[in-house]
Amino acid sequence: MRNKTLKLIPAALLLLLSSANAWGQAAGEAGATPYFYDNMLSYGMLALAAVVFIATLTALYNLLNIMVKVQQIRIYQEQGIEAYQEEVSKPKESIFQRLYKRMTSVVPVEKEEDILFDHEYDGIRELDNVLPPWWVAMFYVTIAFGVVYYTYYHFTGAGPSSAEEYKMEMERAEKAVQAYLATQANQVDETNVELLTDEQAIAAGKAIYEGKGTCFTCHGMFGEGGIGPNMTDPYWIHGGGIKDLFKTVKYGVPEKGMISWKDQLKPVEMQQVSSYILSLQGTNPPNPKEPQGELYQQVDNAAPADTSSTEVSEQKGDAIGMSE
Amino acid sequence: MAQVEKFSYDNAIVRKFTYATIVFGVVGILVGLIAALQLVFPSLNLGIPETTFGRIRPLHTNAAIFAFVGNGIFMGVYYSLQRLLKTRMYSKFLSEFHFWGWQAIILAAAITLPLGITSAKEYAELEWPIDIAIALVWVAFGVNMFGTILKRREQHLYVAIWFYIATWVTVTVLHIGNNLELPVSLWKSYPVFAGVQDALIQWWYGHNAVAFFLTTPYLGLMYYYLPKAANRPVYSYKLSIIHFWALIFIYIWAGPHHLLYTSLPDWAQSLGTVFSIMLIAPSWGGMLNGLLTLRGAWDRVRQDPVLKFMVVAVTAYGMATFEGPMLSIKSVNAISHYTDWTIGHVHIGTLGWNGFLTFGILYWLLPRLFNTKLHSQKLANAHFWIGTLGILFYAIPLYWAGWTQSLMWKQFTPDGFLQYGNFLETVTQIIPMYALRALGGTLYVVGYFVMIYNLVKTIQAGSFIGDEEAEAPPASTWAVHTGKEHWHRWIERRPVQMLIAATIAILIGGIVEIFPMAMIDDQVPKIESVTPYTPLELEGRDIYIREGCLGCHSQMVRPFRSETERYGEYSKSGEFIYDRPFLWGSKRTGPDLHRVGGKYPDSWHYNHMLDPETTSPGSIMPPYPWLLRDELNTGNTAAKIRALQTLGTPYPEGYDQIAVDDLQKQAKIVADNLRKDGIDDDKLEEKEIVALIAYLQKLGTDIKPAPQAGN
Repeated sequence: MRNKTLKLIPAALLLLLSSANAWGQAAGEAGATPYFYDNMLSYGMLALAAVVFIATLTALYNLLNIMVKVQQIRIYQEQGIEAYQEEVSKPKESIFQRLYKRMTSVVPVEKEEDILFDHEYDGIRELDNVLPPWWVAMFYVTIAFGVVYYTYYHFTGAGPSSAEEYKMEMERAEKAVQAYLATQANQVDETNVELLTDEQAIAAGKAIYEGKGTCFTCHGMFGEGGIGPNMTDPYWIHGGGIKDLFKTVKYGVPEKGMISWKDQLKPVEMQQVSSYILSLQGTNPPNPKEPQGELYQQVDNAAPADTSSTEVSEQKGDAIGMSE
Repeated sequence: MAQVEKFSYDNAIVRKFTYATIVFGVVGILVGLIAALQLVFPSLNLGIPETTFGRIRPLHTNAAIFAFVGNGIFMGVYYSLQRLLKTRMYSKFLSEFHFWGWQAIILAAAITLPLGITSAKEYAELEWPIDIAIALVWVAFGVNMFGTILKRREQHLYVAIWFYIATWVTVTVLHIGNNLELPVSLWKSYPVFAGVQDALIQWWYGHNAVAFFLTTPYLGLMYYYLPKAANRPVYSYKLSIIHFWALIFIYIWAGPHHLLYTSLPDWAQSLGTVFSIMLIAPSWGGMLNGLLTLRGAWDRVRQDPVLKFMVVAVTAYGMATFEGPMLSIKSVNAISHYTDWTIGHVHIGTLGWNGFLTFGILYWLLPRLFNTKLHSQKLANAHFWIGTLGILFYAIPLYWAGWTQSLMWKQFTPDGFLQYGNFLETVTQIIPMYALRALGGTLYVVGYFVMIYNLVKTIQAGSFIGDEEAEAPPASTWAVHTGKEHWHRWIERRPVQMLIAATIAILIGGIVEIFPMAMIDDQVPKIESVTPYTPLELEGRDIYIREGCLGCHSQMVRPFRSETERYGEYSKSGEFIYDRPFLWGSKRTGPDLHRVGGKYPDSWHYNHMLDPETTSPGSIMPPYPWLLRDELNTGNTAAKIRALQTLGTPYPEGYDQIAVDDLQKQAKIVADNLRKDGIDDDKLEEKEIVALIAYLQKLGTDIKPAPQAGN
């Protein structure tokens, strides 16, 4: 038994070393892939290393046990058979009981008279129990954590600062977003946006206008204006075409209080809400704000000659007629 | 040992503090309940400035901490100190001065806080005259305690008294350190430190107010009342020694964990993290010594409501002191901070640890003061169960709310947009949780009233013993210790040395963290474009402070993608150098405001203050019509400018003389802006709202990049 265990140790050590070697290789490969831990192979290596580690510990434990036993046999040989019999007749404890005892190292309630201090304060006595070993161990572990943590972040320069963490997060996110967008169809922006006229898109635009866009708080529930300008008349401060509107929504006009929505609305949502706003042309809501800006006239040079833009022009024509 | 002296204990002062504890417990909890309900029904402020959330939140925290727990400490200390030292309190006059002085301070707080008189520092909101009164009364308490210790008949100091001593000295240091301020007028002052330094000192104070006002004195009480109630010896004397010294030494370092991922330099943040982790064992030492003292008495815990309350209290202490260090780990804090998780966490401590230990002590103490039995064990048991349910119903919904909201704040769509770009969505989502929390609070209050009934009945049945007879051998009979004994016994005979040792232990952490921050200039990298507040902005800022806006709005954009996307560039320490006091806040019931400047037109803010629901439907922010109605007081503007000049804000020489003119000029511009958007009020430029708008529009704009587009 003893020989077997002794043989096991070098074998285990060898295994451990080779697995560490494999770990090193896996880490080397990981340089190419961004997420080392996604690599199933490395998980396998990690598991193997853990198994070997536990096996080694077990072997060492066995070895220690055997050495203790050998020592005990020597003692019994000196003290005679009675000592051995006494030892054997003692009740055996399970490993958990022993572990519990060792970790708490508590004096049982029945024996506490032995460790009672003779001082008392208003009748309060104190026991001389030792510090619970598990508690002491926890204290040491937390102190070690503190030292390692602080060294890692502030003395070695290896741990990232808050600002570096932020930079890394932003780069990672940028990559992920680009990768996602690459799989999506062409994006809408102010150079290629087109007016939407289908019912669904207008309804979606209306929902944004009255909902998360909170446009109505400044431009009125029906586009009649308020803090912001009236959007049902043909007068526009920053242009009344779909591209102008999209641009105003996207970047805002901060100096006049119109905020930029590009971080809160998706491009298609900005397209929908801009289209909805243009659909309000000439609706003549109650309490309209006086016209602001210039009378907008459709400039055809850049606009694609599709049906939707014609419709807008027609609506405009009506509106102009009415306001005159 | 035939020599015995006869003397008596002063129970009259204990009774006074006991009654005050019971009364202010009701007040503190009820104000908390009202605040909780206002988060569900904002109109519950009844449109009155004095009862609006921002003003009653500090009233709640101050009442709960300093009125309820404070009186609870004094009740417990005055009773136990005399008995542990076998002597009467040192001075009847100081006892009375302490009692009435403390109640007067509470009264002053109850008046000034709803009036909006506040220094804006959490748990230290009271203005400078009251701060001085607190210092006086606290010193009276200290002299009285030390006088009692010095004329003791017991040679050694019991562990409870170590905790009392550490409490007294630390609270003194903290209170003075965090209230270094320059008065402008009777009810207004500016702190000596600005921005990041002010923040560090505030949370050195704030964290240790929890440590040395809510924790160490209550540990002292636990060490007296728990073994008394259980009639069991304290589990381990050695554990008492180690956990006491480790606790007071380590606790003081942990303050910066309230400022993780803020503009505080990383080295200080990390100190907060590692010392919080190291705090687990010393804190648990207290819990273990409490719970293990009950070994051999657990059968009685089932019967005795006093022990039941104490067991839950000590367990809650253990839970909170494990959770706290976990929340101090930066990656956990990134989720928890600014959410209701923190609120849930502190209430495990206050409702569980402080509340239940106080209840246990009250049920044990009052029958003894009145020489009778508790009126009803049954009612006490009922109180125990209602209260426990109350804590669960309070905490669990808030944990849920905190996690939900935090995840919503951080959620991105695959194409790189915030899933919940409108902050309000993340608030309306958790309102049901707020309602459940209010239910938990209600249960806790109901339990409290059951206790009051029970205690009143007990008092009526008994007869009060004002002077309790006792006898003990005099100090002249003390043994001379030369033989072998535990090393710590030496200092237990020497209260002055113990005071000095405790003072050194609690000073180290503060010195290491605060001195470099306050003394070394490059801890805060200078930003050239950052300018002082104009007089109008300054007045607006003081209105922001008065209304307690910081109770719900932070001014600290953390370096996370989810925050820079939502609010703008993350906050830099150099931006706060003129902020006296700092206003980073600790909770986001509403959105962060550090980059709100220039985001909305002036008229948006006007309408928003008039009725938040018009600009943000579903908002739980109360309306502030009085800001639109009341005229701005510029009587102190010049004095404010002078005070800030003294503290180092670079206003030009003699600027105080023209400050009001400047203020009026800027007010005219804002007012004209508002008129352009159709807001009609011919005295607009004289109203408070104009100053507040000017302040909000300045926020975060010092380093704001130029708008990307627009014409």
